[in-house]
Amino acid sequence: MTDTVSEELTPLSTAPAPVSGGVARGVGPHARRFWRQLTSMRTALLLLTLLALAAIPGTFIPQRGLDPVKVDDYLKSHPHLGPLLNHLSLFDVFGAPWFAAIYLLLFLSLVGCLVPRIRLHAAALRRRPPNAPRHLMRLPASMQWQTDADPDAVVAGAHRLLRSSRWRADRRDEADGVRTVAAEKGYLRETGNLVFHVSLLVLLVGIALTGLYGYKGTVLVTEGGSFANARGFYDVFEPSRLYNDSQLAPFSFSLKKFSASYQPSGEPTSFHAYVDYRSSPTAPAHPFDMQVNHPLDVDGAKVFLVGHGYSLGITVTNAAGQKVYDGDTPFLPDDSQFTSHGVIKIPNLGGGKQLGLTGFFYPTAGFTPTGTVTSVYPGPTRPRLSLAAWSGDLGLNSGIPQSVYSLPVANLKNIGVTQLRPGKSWHLKDGTTITFHGIHQWATFQVAHEPGKRTLLIGAILVIAGLLASLRVRRRRFWLRAIPATDGDSGGRTVVMAAGLARSDADGFSSELEDLVGRIAAEHAGGPATERDDT
Amino acid sequence: MTPNLHLAHISDVLLTWAVFLYAFAMLGYAAEFAAGRRAEARGGDTRSREGRRAALFGRFGVGLTFVGWGFHVAAVTTRGLAVHRVPWGNMYEFSCMVTLVAVTTYLFLLTQPRVRALLTGKQRSVEAVRSLGAFVMAPIILYLGVAGTVLYAAPGPLVPALNSYWIKIHVVAAITATGAFLVSGVITMLYLLKERYERGLPPLRVSLLARLRSPMNPQRVSLGPGTAAAIEMGSARGGLMKALPSAAALDRMAYRVITFAFPVWTFAIIAGAIWAEQAWSRYWGWDPKETWSFITWLGYAAYLHARATAGWRGRRAATLSLIAFGALMVDYYVVNTVITGLHSYAGIS
Repeated sequence: MTDTVSEELTPLSTAPAPVSGGVARGVGPHARRFWRQLTSMRTALLLLTLLALAAIPGTFIPQRGLDPVKVDDYLKSHPHLGPLLNHLSLFDVFGAPWFAAIYLLLFLSLVGCLVPRIRLHAAALRRRPPNAPRHLMRLPASMQWQTDADPDAVVAGAHRLLRSSRWRADRRDEADGVRTVAAEKGYLRETGNLVFHVSLLVLLVGIALTGLYGYKGTVLVTEGGSFANARGFYDVFEPSRLYNDSQLAPFSFSLKKFSASYQPSGEPTSFHAYVDYRSSPTAPAHPFDMQVNHPLDVDGAKVFLVGHGYSLGITVTNAAGQKVYDGDTPFLPDDSQFTSHGVIKIPNLGGGKQLGLTGFFYPTAGFTPTGTVTSVYPGPTRPRLSLAAWSGDLGLNSGIPQSVYSLPVANLKNIGVTQLRPGKSWHLKDGTTITFHGIHQWATFQVAHEPGKRTLLIGAILVIAGLLASLRVRRRRFWLRAIPATDGDSGGRTVVMAAGLARSDADGFSSELEDLVGRIAAEHAGGPATERDDT
Repeated sequence: MTPNLHLAHISDVLLTWAVFLYAFAMLGYAAEFAAGRRAEARGGDTRSREGRRAALFGRFGVGLTFVGWGFHVAAVTTRGLAVHRVPWGNMYEFSCMVTLVAVTTYLFLLTQPRVRALLTGKQRSVEAVRSLGAFVMAPIILYLGVAGTVLYAAPGPLVPALNSYWIKIHVVAAITATGAFLVSGVITMLYLLKERYERGLPPLRVSLLARLRSPMNPQRVSLGPGTAAAIEMGSARGGLMKALPSAAALDRMAYRVITFAFPVWTFAIIAGAIWAEQAWSRYWGWDPKETWSFITWLGYAAYLHARATAGWRGRRAATLSLIAFGALMVDYYVVNTVITGLHSYAGIS
């Protein structure tokens, strides 16, 4: 008997057979030894542990991919440690070369291990179940009984029954009229195991597809405004390595209305962005109610609602009575109650003067315990806009790019502060009038195209299916031997011996065996087992 | 819809009752140990009066566990009815569900003849599973205690990011796997203790004490009066250890629970990725929660591989599984409360 119970404890046996060195053959003893080491279970175990350890710093050190602002703060507050961490890619752990090295080695080890195993398993699937061991009754789970049926009938009945219970069964003749059945079941275990591991490679392909051909971008749209899917319209656009502009689907949408509802505490309960979209400039417009968990799927790209805030309608009229600014100005939220900040820059107020406005918007104005104004609720129930006006050179022609949401005021002169309600105006001493005429909302949308998504989904389904089969299916063997009647000890009856072997996870097997033998015995009407040795 | 505060209060009261019942159940299991040891001291006949009394304590513990479980189910049901949604929207509710799964897993093991056979060989005795009772109940009571005090969240609706049918898929899978991992973690710890006992090593405390007493000479243990007392304690522990199933049986049982929980955990991660793609426009972003779930997954994967690697079976594999469980606890407690990420749904302010 070549098979032992050694597999009993091998749930995910990744290396059951000696690797013949298929890839490394003829390369030299060192390479071969390295290959054998790499594809060993011990190495896989080590790399799995290493990958887990390597991921840990990515959760405690701020990561560029998650929060670039935090990384900059960290670099500022840690002038010595920061650059060192940066040098070691610790602000970008999951894109770091050493992290990639670990998982690529793991996948290499996996491939090296899978190839010979797939070959072996394919061979095992074609092979007939192994012969019955000579001494069946020595196996840990075995039984013996006598019957009046002749060996051929017993074996035929057992064979039929095993086949109908989806065992792979085979009849064999031995000397002196002895007949045996050899059966095996649970090949699905190893199949599942192989499917699981191959699916991990499928997942890797899916991740690579998205990483190489996908794109994503974000855009802020105020109520009444619209967006067309072209690179120039995005506020932020992140193409992948092999991306080209022809991949952008020609869709567009306009934001009709945005609505948010909140609990009394200010916790949000729902967000709705009502948009009209077209899949191409000539296609008809369709309305769509976009929500946080309900993205718009258009032409291979998905549009997600990712943020919102207030846009304030502000008009600025100069001393001569000319409108120098009129529009919705997006204010960016600073806290969960939507205290927001925004900036208006007017480089040509008239008379060669420039005007800057910095403001805070409080959708529901209230006071902090220390007496400063703050927003106490995110909905616009008591909206107030506080503004500060600045004169001087705004620095827009200095060549240094400026954010539209901030105004460096160090070289500017403050010419007044005020607080406005909607509909009210503020008259500056120089004759400029600033009117706060309305509140709109803006929403930010993220557009993402991930070409590897379908591959990933298929891979993920196979991962689960493979895992279930490899952990829950038990591989087991069964043998039956019928010895023809002799005049001696058996009293003219056929002696039947049956035994089973669980090759993985033995629990429950003895009761399955009992049940199987009971049905076989009933099949040839031998009556209940007369003698059992059931361990 | 506004939460039904009256119903929410009933839920809180029911949960408090469940915790008390579990605590009394634990006392019952502990009393079974004590009475069993006394029975053994008098000749070890389980049919003696002491033996019968021990079994009575044990059955009492099981009965109380069942009643506590009923209260527990009622508590989460009323919570769900009170807030008009699934009762697993914040850490408090999540903890209640995880412990419910853990108790259910334990009761399931208790009622499975196949599991009982696994633990005791031929005897299909319920005592072997029952002997785990006190050890399973202890972390559950702790978990619920932390949930009811530190993590408690007033009833309310879900934040929009959670308002999706995926909460029924992803979070249920996460709860189920976590509850089962909790049980496997307890069994694995018992396995390590029992394995040490079976190897004839002194209990951890004694060996530590002995080492403390002779810091200059770790080889030779000086037998001071303290050490003698400690060895005395060790023999007392022997009684406790004897009542536990064999190390091999505990190992197999932990493995069975993990082979159930691991695919469920895998599914939870995948469902989470699909949901993340719906809600945050990317299926994977190395958010701290995602990363620690992945680390946990790798840990249990390492455990499963270790069981198939020569030289790694047994103690080393068990240690890996405990490390993986530690990662799961970091994933749950530390990530939700200390590290800020997209999964900040703790609901504690």
